[in-house]
Amino acid sequence: MQKKVFFVTNNATKSRAANAAKLTALGITATAADVYTSSFAAAAYLKTTSFSKKAYVVGEQGLVDELTAAGIACVGGPEHAGKEVDWSNPEPHMEVDPEVGAVVVGLDRNINYFKLQYATTCLINGSSCMFIACNTDSRGHFSSSQEWAGAGTMVAAIIGSSEREPMLLGKPASFILDHLCATHQIPREKCIVIGDRLDTDILWGNQNNAGTCCVLTGVTSEAQLLSPDNKVQPKLYMDSLAEFLTVKPLLPASCVIM
Amino acid sequence: MQALQRSLPGARAGARPVRPARRMVACTATARPIPRATNEQKLDLLKRVECFIFDCDGVIWLGDKVIDGVPETLDMLRGMGKKVFFVTNNSTKSRAGYMSKFQSLGLDVKAEEIYSSSYAAAAYLESINFNKKVYVIGETGILEELDLKGIRHLGGPGDADKRVTLKSGEYMEHDHDVGAVVVGFDRYINYYKIQYATLCIRENPGCLFIATNRDAVTHLTDAQEWAGNGSMVGAIVGSTKREPTVVGKPSDFMLKNISASLGLRPDQICMVGDRLDTDIMFGKNGGLTTSLVLSGVTTEEVLNSPDNKVIPDYVLAKLPDLLTVKEMAMVAA
Repeated sequence: MQKKVFFVTNNATKSRAANAAKLTALGITATAADVYTSSFAAAAYLKTTSFSKKAYVVGEQGLVDELTAAGIACVGGPEHAGKEVDWSNPEPHMEVDPEVGAVVVGLDRNINYFKLQYATTCLINGSSCMFIACNTDSRGHFSSSQEWAGAGTMVAAIIGSSEREPMLLGKPASFILDHLCATHQIPREKCIVIGDRLDTDILWGNQNNAGTCCVLTGVTSEAQLLSPDNKVQPKLYMDSLAEFLTVKPLLPASCVIM
Repeated sequence: MQALQRSLPGARAGARPVRPARRMVACTATARPIPRATNEQKLDLLKRVECFIFDCDGVIWLGDKVIDGVPETLDMLRGMGKKVFFVTNNSTKSRAGYMSKFQSLGLDVKAEEIYSSSYAAAAYLESINFNKKVYVIGETGILEELDLKGIRHLGGPGDADKRVTLKSGEYMEHDHDVGAVVVGFDRYINYYKIQYATLCIRENPGCLFIATNRDAVTHLTDAQEWAGNGSMVGAIVGSTKREPTVVGKPSDFMLKNISASLGLRPDQICMVGDRLDTDIMFGKNGGLTTSLVLSGVTTEEVLNSPDNKVIPDYVLAKLPDLLTVKEMAMVAA
C-alpha cells in the first residue's frame, strides 16, 4: 500500500541498527533508517546545536553508539559501570573532564554513585552544561515476566541532586515526530502513532497533531483505557495491530499490496 | 593533566536558584540591616528558651574543626538547665555513630541529644506502631536505629553487590511482608536496590515510602559538593511516581517528636542554624524561636538582601557570642 512505516522506541539501550536486527530476526523487514530510538533523538538534537564538546553519558552501550555515530565524543557510559569513589581516602575527591558540555541520560542498569556524582558535578559547575534526557518512562517491560524501573529513575535521580530540569527528546516530546516528518517530507496530519502506552505513545501523537491508535496487546487494558480516570484518548483503539488486516479484503482493487 | 573542577561550600549559594521553601511565612516589612543580637536580647533568649536545637555544620563545627568557644557555650547552656539537641540530615550514621564524631572533636554529648535523620526514620515508624518489615536503601546508620527499635529490615549495605542481569525471562522476587521502604543517603546505590524498592512500593498494598531527607547535595568534603539523598529519593520517585514522607529537615516530624518528648511549647524551643531556607524556615514553620549564626554559609549581605524574606528572631555572629552574657545569665537563672 506504499505506506511508510517507522518503528519508534524510547528504550535508549540498543542502537537503531541493533533494533533493526531484532525486528528482522522476528520476521519484520526493517533497516536502521526505519527505526527511531530516544538515543538517536538525543544525538540528533545535539547535532542541531552544532555541539562540539563532550557528552557525559549515564546510559548503556546503545546510547554511546548513537552519540558516537553522530560524531560526539563520549565520557562515561558502560566504562563507568564499576567505578567507585575511594571512600577510604580521608579527603575523597572527584575530578570531571572540563570539556563535558552535556550530560545525556538514558536507561542505565549499571547506575551507581560515581556516575550520579560525575553528572551532578558537570551540571552544577557549569550552568551552560546541557542536561538531556532520552526518556523519562518510570518503568518498562525489560523482561517478559515483569516491569522494571525505567530511565525515569536515572533522570529523576540527577534532577534530585543537580536541581536542574532536563530537555526531553524521546516520547512524548515532539523532537522525533518533527525529525521524521521533516526528513521524509510527510505532512503531520498524514501520520498515525500506534502504541500501547497512553502516557507516552498516545499522548505523544495527540500533543503533536498526529493520529493515534491504542492497541491492547501491551501494558494498557481496555478497562484502563475506558476508565473515567483516563484523560488520554486515542482516535482509535483495537485489540492488536493485526486487526488492520480485517479490512484488507475491503480495499479497492486499485490499491496494490506489495 | 586536566584542570581540577572545584567549588567551595557556600560559593554557589548565590549562583543558582535555591529550591523555593514549601511554605512561605508572611512577614511584615523589617528594618534593614537586621542587627546582631544585643546583650539584652541574648538574655531574653536565654530566659525564654528551654531547649536549643543546633544544626551542626556551620554552627557547631566547620568541616572537621569545632568552632572556637562552642564547648564552653554548651557547658553554659547545660549549666542553666537547658536541653540541647544536635540535628543532622545525614543518615549514614546512627546517633551512637555520631557520638564518636562529637567526642573526637572534644564535644561532650549524650547519644540521646543527637537527632540524626536515621533516628528520625526509626522514630517515625515507631510512632505509627509499624510492625512489618522495612526495605532499606541506605547505610548502616538506618539499620542500627531500626535494630534499636526492634524493627525488622532487609536490604541496606547487604545489597550493595547485587546485580541485575536481565537474561531472557528474568524475574525479581520480593518479600511481600515489606510494609515500608526507607530511603537514606546511599553511596552504594544500584539498579537492584532501585528495582527491589520499586516492586515493594508498587506491589505490596499500603507500603509506605519514607525518605530520611531530600538534600540535593551533602558536604562530605570542603573542596566540592557531593550528590545527596535528593538523588536516591529522586530515583524512587521516578520509578514509582509516588512522593515520600520526609522525616528529616525541613519536615516537622522531628520538631514535633522533640517538643512532645520534652513537653515544651514550640516558642520555648530555639532552632539555631546557618541556613535561612532550611534551618530558619524550618524553625519558623514549626512555630519555634529562631537564631541565625553567621559562622556558616549565610553572610550578613544575604541576610539583609531585599530578596531575603526569611527573618530570624535573633542573629549572632557565632553561637559562642552568647558567652558575653554568661555572668548576667547565671545570676538571673
